[in-house]
Amino acid sequence: MKKITLALLVLTGALFPQNKDPEIILKRLMEKFNYVKDYQVDVKIKIDIDYIQAPQTKAKIYFKQPDKIHIESERLALLPKDGLNFSPSAVLQKKYTSIYEKDDVIGGHKVSIIKIIPLGEGNVILTTLYVDTKENLIRKLETTTKSKGTFSIDLNYKDGSEYSLPSEMIFSFNIDKLNIPSALSGEVEAESEQKTEERNKPVSGKVYIYYYNYKINQGIPDKIFNNSSK
Amino acid sequence: MISLINIEIYKIFKKWRTYISFVAIGVLVPIIHIAMLIEGEHSIEYMTRNLKQSFIFVGNLLNGFLISYLILNSLVVHIPFLIALVAGDLLAGEATAGTYRILITRPVSRFKITFSKFIAGIFYTNLLILFLAVMSLGLGILIFGTGELIVVRNSGIVIFAREDVFWRFVTAYLFASLSMSVVAALAFLFSSLVENAIGPIVSTMAIIIIFLIISAINVQFFQSIKPYLFTTYMNSWRLFFDNPMNLKEISESILILLGHVALFFGAAFHIFNKKDILS
Amino acid sequence: METEKVIEVNGLSKKFKEVAAVNNLYLNVYKGDVFGFLGPNGAGKSTTIRMLLSLITPNQGQIRIFGKSLKENRINILRNVGAIVESPDFYGYLSAYKNLEIIGKISGKEISRKRIMEVLELVGLHKRYKSKVKTYSHGMKQRLGIAQALLHNPDLIILDEPTTGLDPQGMKEIRDLIIHLSKQEQKTIFLSSHILYEVELVANRMIIINKGTTMIEGEVKNLLNALDLKVTFEVDDPLKAKSLIGEKAWISKLDSIIDNKMIFNLKTDDIPLLNKYFVENQVNIRAVIPRRSLEEYFLNITESAG
Repeated sequence: MKKITLALLVLTGALFPQNKDPEIILKRLMEKFNYVKDYQVDVKIKIDIDYIQAPQTKAKIYFKQPDKIHIESERLALLPKDGLNFSPSAVLQKKYTSIYEKDDVIGGHKVSIIKIIPLGEGNVILTTLYVDTKENLIRKLETTTKSKGTFSIDLNYKDGSEYSLPSEMIFSFNIDKLNIPSALSGEVEAESEQKTEERNKPVSGKVYIYYYNYKINQGIPDKIFNNSSK
Repeated sequence: MISLINIEIYKIFKKWRTYISFVAIGVLVPIIHIAMLIEGEHSIEYMTRNLKQSFIFVGNLLNGFLISYLILNSLVVHIPFLIALVAGDLLAGEATAGTYRILITRPVSRFKITFSKFIAGIFYTNLLILFLAVMSLGLGILIFGTGELIVVRNSGIVIFAREDVFWRFVTAYLFASLSMSVVAALAFLFSSLVENAIGPIVSTMAIIIIFLIISAINVQFFQSIKPYLFTTYMNSWRLFFDNPMNLKEISESILILLGHVALFFGAAFHIFNKKDILS
Repeated sequence: METEKVIEVNGLSKKFKEVAAVNNLYLNVYKGDVFGFLGPNGAGKSTTIRMLLSLITPNQGQIRIFGKSLKENRINILRNVGAIVESPDFYGYLSAYKNLEIIGKISGKEISRKRIMEVLELVGLHKRYKSKVKTYSHGMKQRLGIAQALLHNPDLIILDEPTTGLDPQGMKEIRDLIIHLSKQEQKTIFLSSHILYEVELVANRMIIINKGTTMIEGEVKNLLNALDLKVTFEVDDPLKAKSLIGEKAWISKLDSIIDNKMIFNLKTDDIPLLNKYFVENQVNIRAVIPRRSLEEYFLNITESAG
């Protein structure tokens, strides 16, 4: 599958010669992001997912370069696994090929669309980055995975912020079969065929995360990341 | 009448069999708590493994509320037995003991005798459910603390904020009291028919188990009978854990259960009123 | 002045399945009576008593107590009736005192501690009032049964086999109690018993029933005098005695001779006459034993009815 995608893209590239170097764009992206050594931020999480209802909750997220993340919440918080770490290095960790596709405009911002194809084995098949080359920020990210379908992350930033840390993230996803267990709460009820079908339907939804109170580069000890998120 | 009810309550609590129920709950609930202390995290891990493929759960999932919810779910089979144990003895026990003769030769109507016994049985039922609530919720919160409650409903997963949980449990337990009152009324009805408490206890449990089995069989015919079985509505306490709550369905369930209570009591009184006391 | 009827039973019938337990029964109990209610086993005595106490519903007939219909005035009537029905049962897990207290409360009357102890003392249980009834012997339960019947000082007391399981001393105490209640406290007593000797000693009126129907009803002394008695004359020489009465009317009264016992069917007044005859004719009499008992009478009646 990957090889076919790669071949098609190369072909596209050959037919429509690139006029921007994706590596340069990515490098500038990384440089800006690397101003952030660590941060802690308060978040509000809102969930809008088929078959899942949850109240708005608050949490605290800690991040330390290159990829340490720790989450704390007094209440039950549901956060998407993928996309919590939206730093470019998370996307560009492994060996990859990047292809500039074209320019576009999203949310009033001019962006360059760059395709990242990881080389070697892995769950991610393709990632598409929508990079604001003026501000050197990722405005949007779309990832196609083997096991979990496609998800996309829309990132909004406060105007004039010197760091590439978003004020809002909208995580949209589509899971083929979210197997909701019936025995979670020990219910003893007949499962009709219809209900079993529903349970294994594709599930789509959005998670909205609002970031505020960033504390950037204030030093976060490693031991915080040793505790499992709670 | 109050005096008669008090006497009947006094008689209930003077019998050792009454305490079987309280001891059973007093032992079973802590055992569940201990089991959850040891295995709880494991079980939660297992139960949420699919969700955890896509989501990170942060927070105290294993809390007093979840455990209380689990315990409420177990209401289905063993609490009715504990109710029938006492309710089935209310009338039949007098026959066994031969005390109908001193009771019915008193200057008091058979209605007052039946009604006071019935109310005493309902009182016992409600007290037992209250005890269950205190043991499971109270002790559960003490040991495991509070937190959000994650509930799997037919509509999917619902997570309730902790402030939104306690009142639901209160209403759910009140509803459970009503459900168990139906069981008590049924056992009371059987008790009016016979002279030995074993019959009513076994018959009540048999009816409940048969109805539950019928409801569980996925055959069109049985599913069409299901709305007419009172056991179908006994678990409607779960409706309080919906968001939004289906008030219409809840009201219907309440009315149906109340109707059953009235019907069973009415039948029991009719039988008892006409009964020739030969014991 | 006509004595007030306390119990009036008219045409009372009760069937269980197809068997008539009580069949068109009539009886009357007057104020102040100690009324003996007699019949063999299965005659319908218990069924009748249960109907009097509204434990069983009659198929036909009327019961009036204190001049009121039982069906329409049950509660008012029962306020003034105390009863034991067969062997009394109590709440074994409670003490005697507690049982009586509860019985009082059920009746809608708070019975004072004083009264409870009074009746317990009357039946000789005041020393065991705290003991759980399940520890009581049968006789003690019987006494407690009587105590509960007397608890609220009723005018009518219905006693179904009150001396069952009691020793002779106990039986005598109950008899004395019945006489006391009747004579000193002017209670009306309806007494059912198999021990006919007991009934004879205390009852002034009686009924004998069989197969649910009245055989005979009336004053005890009148009923007893209506029939011949079996009188045994124990003599030294029965042959001589027999030949002596051979030509006399006495011979027709001779029932049988067993060893030196000659058994005659006599009226009460005949006994001294025959005795005098034997003595005047030098027949030595060792003993004169009248089998003057209701038992004989009772056996006669019930045997003749088949």
